Amino acid sequence: MLLQNAVADALNNTEWAFPLAECFHIPAFALSIGTIALVDLRLLGVALRRDSTAKLLRDTEPWTLVGLVIVIFSGAILFLSQTQIYLVNSSFYFKMVCLLIAIVYNFTIHRKVAASAASDASPVGAKVVAIVSLLLWLGTVAGGLFIAFV
Amino acid sequence: MTISESIQSIDFLTAIRESALVYPVLLTTHLACIAFFGGMILMTDLRLLGLSLKNLTITEVVVGLRPWKRLGGVIMITAGLLLGSSEAVKYAPNPFFWTKMTILALIGIHALIFRPIVYNKTEELDRSPTIPSKAKVAAYLSLALWLGMVCMGRLIAYYEPKQQPAPQATLLK
Repeated sequence: MLLQNAVADALNNTEWAFPLAECFHIPAFALSIGTIALVDLRLLGVALRRDSTAKLLRDTEPWTLVGLVIVIFSGAILFLSQTQIYLVNSSFYFKMVCLLIAIVYNFTIHRKVAASAASDASPVGAKVVAIVSLLLWLGTVAGGLFIAFV
Repeated sequence: MTISESIQSIDFLTAIRESALVYPVLLTTHLACIAFFGGMILMTDLRLLGLSLKNLTITEVVVGLRPWKRLGGVIMITAGLLLGSSEAVKYAPNPFFWTKMTILALIGIHALIFRPIVYNKTEELDRSPTIPSKAKVAAYLSLALWLGMVCMGRLIAYYEPKQQPAPQATLLK
């Protein structure tokens, strides 16, 4: 009985929910941002050049999506656990704007350029697209971290 | 003065700790490395498991991403060292920190064991009709170790040391 209560208390104790959600959040953004970054490095012509960018995109996109779903779901749990703290946090708004632009960008311009990229040298335009993508995701990560510091 | 106190009282480490900006910027660097280069570790493991990047050979993935992972590792460890040592007094009694360091050591051992038989033998793996189980074991262990590493790193922030006993005596005076 006592043990059962202890387990129930642990599960009911919402103090666990936040760090647990964070432990999903971080590996999931490693997966989503990491796979996008691979495509970006390929667009820049500095990694995995044996494969075309289009093929690499097709290969990595399912994992990007898996990562994004987990990251958004765990992020929603983090947000809902203390909305009043996030809603007055300027870094939170910065992060959300970066994230929104990054996601829309990823599935529109970024995807279009990556899917139609030529197999060898990337034109300057493709490189700009890759750098913008990297910066948007860096902004999202930085904005998220600074929530705890502003 | 304890070892951790003498470490964190080194001038530039004190400066890092007391700066409003340097500490979070270092943390951002550490976390951005997880995002950009941690993803490469995941993708390498998934390739060894036969779950991703199947258009590329194992050799192309392992060898192609190696310099990037090394670059990321150097930046990540540098930022982590500065973060940890500038707050040495806080980290020294933290069990999550020491668990994380233990996992880091295990990752080193993982490399010692699997580099000669998996990561430096990728051409042999590519020739094999099915991915050999030693490669899958290496990938599963790598996934588990890195996930543990990230979770312990995050949990460091949640440790609260036991309060020092009995300040009451002075209050009663």
